[in-house]
Amino acid sequence: MEKLQPKRNKPEKLIGLIFASLFIFISNIAFAEIAVIVHPDNSASLDKKTIKKIFMGKVKKFDNGNVILPMNASKGAASRDNFNKLVIGRTTTQVNAYWSKLVFTGKGTMPRELSSDAEIIATVSANKDAISYVDASAVTDAVKVIATY
Amino acid sequence: MKLFKVLTMLIATIILPHSALADVAFSGYGSIVAGKTFGSVDDPLNPGETRDEILTADFYDVGQYDNDIKFTPESVFALQALVDLGDDLKFTAQLVAKGTDDFEPEFDWYYLTYQVNDSWSVMAGRRNIPMYYYSEFSEVGYAYPWMRPPSNLYWWQITQFNSFQASYDFEWGDYSNNLTFFYGNENSYDNKEMLFYDELFGGNARSVDEFWSDILGFNWNIAGDDFEVRFVYFQNDRDRTTTAQDGTETDSVPFDQQFLGFGGYYNFNQFTFLFDWNHVEYDDVVGTEYPTYLVSLVYNIGDFQPYIAYSKADHENTKTEAATKDLEEHYILGYGVRYNFHPSASFKIQYDKFEEQGNKATGWAYHGDSRTLTMGIDFIF
Repeated sequence: MEKLQPKRNKPEKLIGLIFASLFIFISNIAFAEIAVIVHPDNSASLDKKTIKKIFMGKVKKFDNGNVILPMNASKGAASRDNFNKLVIGRTTTQVNAYWSKLVFTGKGTMPRELSSDAEIIATVSANKDAISYVDASAVTDAVKVIATY
Repeated sequence: MKLFKVLTMLIATIILPHSALADVAFSGYGSIVAGKTFGSVDDPLNPGETRDEILTADFYDVGQYDNDIKFTPESVFALQALVDLGDDLKFTAQLVAKGTDDFEPEFDWYYLTYQVNDSWSVMAGRRNIPMYYYSEFSEVGYAYPWMRPPSNLYWWQITQFNSFQASYDFEWGDYSNNLTFFYGNENSYDNKEMLFYDELFGGNARSVDEFWSDILGFNWNIAGDDFEVRFVYFQNDRDRTTTAQDGTETDSVPFDQQFLGFGGYYNFNQFTFLFDWNHVEYDDVVGTEYPTYLVSLVYNIGDFQPYIAYSKADHENTKTEAATKDLEEHYILGYGVRYNFHPSASFKIQYDKFEEQGNKATGWAYHGDSRTLTMGIDFIF
């Protein structure tokens, strides 16, 4: 079909308006203290850098040679957002994006996800090589806190 | 390579039934993207005529936007199965359905991974060639801020290969390193992109077969707290056979190709700076070279990631007797926002300005200018 009058749209203005209106929303993130936990028998001492590397898949074994089992809180959990922000130093989306490039190129397996602080504590207390994190107020004697942030 | 496919599948089917406790994990990713271009341009290949502005968003699959709103050029769904066979052996397969193929699912990825020890692992099977920084995960929209890695750099007619890879992880000071060596081949019969070019330039071929053989090279990744950089080098042989309607086959003159690249990202405060520099060289009679680069800045504010990206591609003949820069040349200036509205999904809106800078007289200005708006949702599961 022939166009008699080729229309020259001016999309720039409209797009500028859309982008500007998106910035009206600013999200607020409240930080609650989180505790990094391991099995009570686990004597490993881990600094923040090492904990970060464990959850980024770059450190896979404890000094004693055992394979580390890192576990995440569920998607959307406040503790997961806080852990990512305070320990890894990225937003949850940035961390998920990092993992998605590893997972879908066969270069890594994302830490397992558990649904609640109670499930995390139960799992860590039953597994000598597990490491996870919970809201500091949820900690019980069943696990050992190695750091709080 | 049919044989390779059959062999990989065969190994998997032999091993699978014997591991009754094989642990299978499913995951996946997808993108639903719609977009359109605005206005029309003088048709670069047909002087005096006008046509819709066109943006090629995916060269390999010939996914193009024009003035009509389209969902097919970039929408994709993929399901991955990771089978843990035990004893450090894993099998991974990815079933991918693309809008450019009418969402017909295909096993685009299938490979075995064996973890030899803490540092070494080996892989065998079908994967993306690790060319540009984003090549291996170029279809996982969730993994990067933009709608797509800039398409005017990711323009190759070959993106995958059947390969063997050996990967070595090591610490270097505070930095995590990975060295991956790869060797592979790709015989792309009836290559979609090459047939598209044949038609675009007035040809009437039945098919074009593209062969990249002895693809040999390495990647070196260095990751620190706030950055990651990656070097890549590989070389391979290039061959092409064009089959005319009457079945006559014409072989192009073969040549060697070398690919060099350096890319990565750096996080500072709330910003992320991303870059990729690449240089491709042919040992053909004219000394073809393709210098390309990408620079991009992302601002991370809460759930929003506004960004800007500039990607430039050039094409030169460097042998003295044929030396010229009047060939293909273009840049894309793109800007947009990624809104992370859900832990596993993001909304993106992007505007791209494609600026054609190629030489019209030699026919290399074949893309034409375009302005494109795309919106989409990327997700992982």
